[in-house]
Amino acid sequence: MAGAGGGGNDVQWCFSQVKGAIDDDVAEADIISTVEFNHSGELLATGDKGGRVVIFQQETENKSQPQCRSEYNVYSTFQSHEPEFDYLKSLEIEEKINKIRWLPQKNAAQFLLSTNDKTIKLWKISERDKRPEGYNLKEEDGRYRDAATITTLRVPVFRPMDLMVEASPRRVFVNGHTYHINSISVNSDNETYLSADDLRINLWHLEITDRSFNVVDIKPANMEELTEVITATEFHPHQCNTFVYSSSKGTIRLCDMRASALCDKHSKLFEEPEDPSNRSFFSEIISSISDVKFSHNGRYMMTRDYLSVKIWDLNMENRPVETYQVHEYLRSKLCSLYENDCIFDKFECCWNGNDSVVMTGSYNNFFRMLDRSQRRDVTLEASRESCKPRQVLKPRRVCAGGKRKKDEISVDSLDFNKKILHTAWHPQENIIAVATTNNLYIFQEKMN
Amino acid sequence: MDMAKRIMALSISKLYSLRTQRGGLSLHRSLLLSMTMRAARDIYHAAQLLRDAEEEQVVPCAPDAAIEEPMEISKDSPQTLTPKEVAMKPQEPKETLEDDKENRCASERHSRKRCCKTAVEPDFLPLKKAKMDTDEEKQHLQGEVLRTNNGNSCRQAETLTAFPTNRAIVAC
Repeated sequence: MAGAGGGGNDVQWCFSQVKGAIDDDVAEADIISTVEFNHSGELLATGDKGGRVVIFQQETENKSQPQCRSEYNVYSTFQSHEPEFDYLKSLEIEEKINKIRWLPQKNAAQFLLSTNDKTIKLWKISERDKRPEGYNLKEEDGRYRDAATITTLRVPVFRPMDLMVEASPRRVFVNGHTYHINSISVNSDNETYLSADDLRINLWHLEITDRSFNVVDIKPANMEELTEVITATEFHPHQCNTFVYSSSKGTIRLCDMRASALCDKHSKLFEEPEDPSNRSFFSEIISSISDVKFSHNGRYMMTRDYLSVKIWDLNMENRPVETYQVHEYLRSKLCSLYENDCIFDKFECCWNGNDSVVMTGSYNNFFRMLDRSQRRDVTLEASRESCKPRQVLKPRRVCAGGKRKKDEISVDSLDFNKKILHTAWHPQENIIAVATTNNLYIFQEKMN
Repeated sequence: MDMAKRIMALSISKLYSLRTQRGGLSLHRSLLLSMTMRAARDIYHAAQLLRDAEEEQVVPCAPDAAIEEPMEISKDSPQTLTPKEVAMKPQEPKETLEDDKENRCASERHSRKRCCKTAVEPDFLPLKKAKMDTDEEKQHLQGEVLRTNNGNSCRQAETLTAFPTNRAIVAC
């Protein structure tokens, strides 16, 4: 199998699969709210607004057809969170799954953390392919036998059965957050994890549900003085004492838990001075970071704000080492985007397996591949029109103004209701999962 | 200035609609909205002050004793402008404003239309300091939103005073 994939541009992407209803009329509960591959890439989980988690499994490879990589099929579906009501505050708690994070696999079962605005749950997903038969006191259908009819004893035996995948909630972490949880991150120690809301970050132990440690608290004594909120947090992939959190002001703070119990004081502050020529009413909003992700090698981190993706070297705090414009043509449309609320959309971003390419979504079901090594980028589209098996995706171009060339689409024709907020890249292979509003597209590298 | 006004209006209506959203108030969204509104309001105020200053300069500069009427008017105009100027400058005494706002609240739209100056004033402008805003908010909410939440009205108001928007307006 090919390694972790080269650049985004010598790779040609082709359609593999699409999951979800074809209907244009989207049920709100079906809106995908998070997508995540597990550590091996064999499993792909999605969460939706209705509180459900769907897990797809990659089929074991078909050696006889090397040009056709294995497909992802539904492995398990379960209701992770239900809507709740907070009676004290007269507030409804949405069941929407904000984030899913997989735990590294330790045994036959798989574990993942899923969270809504208030509650985090640890789910165990296990396979059952045998069942015990031959009980003494029960019939096969479960009814109890009349004791008088039992004359012999036998040892129940395990017999094969159709594969059943069961999901069970093993831990429920409640009451840790006053504000809305925006991210969770599992530590490399595989024992603890972080959860962050707008003002606080808590450290949990996976085994302990009734208490957590607060490691960051930016709530001011006087709420009138609030100027920024926490937007995302992530543990370093290798250093179990290090984590970062991003803010609505466009800054990232790196914290070292060895320095003190409460990490209000950061070890490093990553901030780029604002470009005064770009100042507008909406500067605050567009500089808010919507996602932060460490590279796999742990040397860099990537942040996504409304218009750009920035790559930071952990050793350099005063500016990013690379900046990529995702959709600069939107800069002149910020007022309209404010009106229709699109300016508040929170786009995520992700790295490929060897950290050479990053990917993020945009509008009109476009997504962008940004090749760091070759300094090139490409815009692709997830659409039902390019759904023929192994159909190669054609690069798309947006015309910012002036004369529109052939095959270009003008900014005003973009559909702002079709947004790609969530994307994921297989940890080892060139397989990507891209979520449109209610469909999940899987694209693969073209094999020759 | 029109842009600033438009953004202010948008921001305020978005802030209000946030409260009825499912899942509760989003702190992040509220913060961004109030910051944008504050920025727009500052620009709008600055533009208004500039315009008023220009107008003030223009009128006294109207030439000639020969034209006595205009001179008379020029003496009066600062006075007639006062309620508006007072309204624009947060440092000005609050009493006049409070009366105006209370009257307005009492008879909603009608009093605004009657008073020519306040008709000119955009009614979405948060003109008062935090205390007054909170009071008005409480009145407004108790009157409208909280009709169905009799027992919870106090809590709701508390939540709102904790909410940074109103205070933030003055805090800059």
